[in-house]
Amino acid sequence: MEVHKPSLRGAVWLAHLLILGGASAGATLALRVLIGGAGTLSLTLPRLFPFAEMSLSMDGLSAFFLLVVTLVTAAAALYGPSYLGAHAKAPLVQTFALGGFVACMAGVCCAGDGLTFLLAWEGMTLASYVLVIIDTRNEENTRAGLLYLVMAHAGTAALLVVFLTLSARGQGFDFAALRTAARTLQEPTRTVLFMLALVGFGAKAGVVPLHVWLPKAHPAAPSHASALMSGVMLKVALYGIFRLGFDILAPADGPLPASWGWTVLIVGTVSAVMGVLLALQQHDLKRLLAFHSVENVGIILIGAGLAMLLSRGRGAEPLAVLALAASLLHTLNHAAFKGLLFLGAGSVLSRTGVRNMEELGGLARRMPWTTWLFLLGAVAISALPPLNGFVSEWMTFQALLLGGAKLGGASGLLAGVAASMLALTGGLAAACFAKAFGVTFLGRPRSVHAEHATESPAPMIAGMLLLAGACVALGLLPGYAMRLLDGPTQELLGGLGPSAVVTARGPLVLSGNGAASGLEATSISVTAVAALLALLAAVAWVLRGWPRRAPRRLAPTWTCGMLPSSRFDYTATAFAKPLRLIFAAVYRPRRAIARETGPSPYVVRRLGYTGEVVDLAETMLYTRLKRWITATAQGIRAYSTGRIHGYIAFVLVTLVLALLFFARV
Amino acid sequence: MSVDLATRLIDVLGGLLLFSTLLILAAGQLFRAIYAVAVQSVFLAIAGAVLGAATGNPDLWIIAGITIVVKAILLPWLLIWVVRRIQIPREIEPVIPINATLGLAAGIVVLAFRLSASLGPVRQAITGNALPVGIALILLGVLVMASRRKALVQMVGLFASDNGIFFTGMAVSQGMPLIIEIGVILDVVLGALVMGILVLRVRSSVDTDIADLEDLRG
Repeated sequence: MEVHKPSLRGAVWLAHLLILGGASAGATLALRVLIGGAGTLSLTLPRLFPFAEMSLSMDGLSAFFLLVVTLVTAAAALYGPSYLGAHAKAPLVQTFALGGFVACMAGVCCAGDGLTFLLAWEGMTLASYVLVIIDTRNEENTRAGLLYLVMAHAGTAALLVVFLTLSARGQGFDFAALRTAARTLQEPTRTVLFMLALVGFGAKAGVVPLHVWLPKAHPAAPSHASALMSGVMLKVALYGIFRLGFDILAPADGPLPASWGWTVLIVGTVSAVMGVLLALQQHDLKRLLAFHSVENVGIILIGAGLAMLLSRGRGAEPLAVLALAASLLHTLNHAAFKGLLFLGAGSVLSRTGVRNMEELGGLARRMPWTTWLFLLGAVAISALPPLNGFVSEWMTFQALLLGGAKLGGASGLLAGVAASMLALTGGLAAACFAKAFGVTFLGRPRSVHAEHATESPAPMIAGMLLLAGACVALGLLPGYAMRLLDGPTQELLGGLGPSAVVTARGPLVLSGNGAASGLEATSISVTAVAALLALLAAVAWVLRGWPRRAPRRLAPTWTCGMLPSSRFDYTATAFAKPLRLIFAAVYRPRRAIARETGPSPYVVRRLGYTGEVVDLAETMLYTRLKRWITATAQGIRAYSTGRIHGYIAFVLVTLVLALLFFARV
Repeated sequence: MSVDLATRLIDVLGGLLLFSTLLILAAGQLFRAIYAVAVQSVFLAIAGAVLGAATGNPDLWIIAGITIVVKAILLPWLLIWVVRRIQIPREIEPVIPINATLGLAAGIVVLAFRLSASLGPVRQAITGNALPVGIALILLGVLVMASRRKALVQMVGLFASDNGIFFTGMAVSQGMPLIIEIGVILDVVLGALVMGILVLRVRSSVDTDIADLEDLRG
């Protein structure tokens, strides 16, 4: 642990308070647009380049994503100084990178033209790269950072193609010109551009199979930056998908092409299932959370894909509105609970210095605040009522089941499959967090680090409390959250807003109104569920104090006469074993047991167990790709002779061929 | 000066430019190549002056003057100075035989004329056959660079190619903006300086020619 000078700590605090102030201002602005009816705010930036105007513009969709950014930013800014003070290297550089990162994310959300968008997008990548590599400087993190940079830039290349194609046709970079240009496109071109955009944004959002960098890079950053990367940066990429898919590239009238909805829905479903399956087998707390981000991005995309399938041009389609509202709400919800969980994991990390949960345990008594807050986040992400994760996943279910019935045919079948996969995902997520929470916080400490842990300082708890409050509020009062979604959904789909479609009676009920018949059948009142749960808890509490016949006696667990030790506890590996067996086809698990024997082979001195599972995308796709690139590079090397006149001869031949090609009669 | 006369003069000068490039290609000795490129630059300057007189564009006169001073006098002098300084064998060391190079050059000239036939709209009355000649000059300059081992001859090829670019620019657009022409000349001067210094330094420190640097490849 390093001790920093007071002036340095003061500077770090000041910078974080500035970030907090900026976040509050941004949130106020966003709420004015979303609820205050301020219309679209826009601002022309000073002209930096001779060929394009640059501007910021905030409509409903931008404002909603800005709200997501500012929510987690505020928590991270509260949390950051204490966290950095505890164990950071170069805290000032980290603080500035964080500020730049947040500013660029806000810039992406509020960009009014393609150029500003791409500049802010690149700034976001670079700032987060700094955050990934600076905290713990070792070989692994450097490689993770490099992988991240390569994937992000490959994605940006795809986005450049999209934006430059549109701006060349539209004679300008601003979104209005791009929109006009997209209207004139042929159907196949439009679809190719959308797929490119999906790849470009998907690489950043971590959809399977472009997710391989995510679980390596996110945990490497300092924890509040991980919270921002996982909770917000992925959402900024999703903003891009929403903006291009529903707005800029959408045809002038008529429904979105069915291939878009199919692709997004399938990609979302695969991401959700693969993300949670891989998360289950992680024993590094932060990496587990990072894999859950892949899962949640998948859930958001399921909603978005369904909305694309259901949309009917500018006309109102209540089910499409429901699907899109579910998707957007899950965006906000995931930012809140994933931010909370990463901050909780950071709290554990900063007090114990350990990320591997096999070495933790027994933290519940040592860090009570962190424990309760992490539990709250775990309940939310497992989509259990009455917290916010349940609300948006339930809405997604409603949309999938009713929308599937309405669509019929192959699309309906796909929606049904997606619904069942979503159910599987929810169950596995709950299992995963039972493991993560139980192994980390319950039982006995399995290492000295865990044994000597103490509670984190108040500012860190305050940051977590802010997000926990958001989780509870969004969970109990989803009806009010619907009003936030009115602006964005009406801009993207037209027609009724979700507050008209979804809420039947006040803030309480989550159901359809004026929609297809049968929506009432799936309605549910989260507030009533919460009241019921509270009642049950109260009953249990009362019954606990009921007089018993036998007197109460406290004793250690009976362990067949041996002294109980923390090694007897259930480990994370053991907990995940049954699922490892069931899904062996996906995991391809490998294990090795090393026996160290004494003089006789029957006397075993020591047993070593190592096990690992593979990420199918990594082994099937990336390893092969790497091999192919290496082989190609070796092949090209044969032509790299080092002779200057040889190179000039290449230039000459290329020139002549180009002339022949372009000047054909 | 009448347009007809200018066109004929430009055609004649184009032929002379092409001929001087062929002289560079055929030169078996270093000094001959350098003199040939100097003569070529003189022809280019005259072409610029003719065009300037025909179109009344004063920029072309300025460019013609700069071409005479820089390309016909300064740069050849620099090359000769470097050659005297490092005392290398003055034979050109061709990668492929000179006769074969000339055969390739003939092919390139034919190709340039054939190609420019398809670029009809670009050919303008006043400049006659300047476009195919310009393209041929550019490509032949690159051919010189590609087919000779010595760094100094490659520099000569670069100048010849650059002359071709100038001629094309003048012929097609009747003079590019002055600032661009001056920028291009500065580029060439800088390139020549850098390469000259490099040749001298490599020679004086490791006593080898630039072309031998390929042995450094791992």
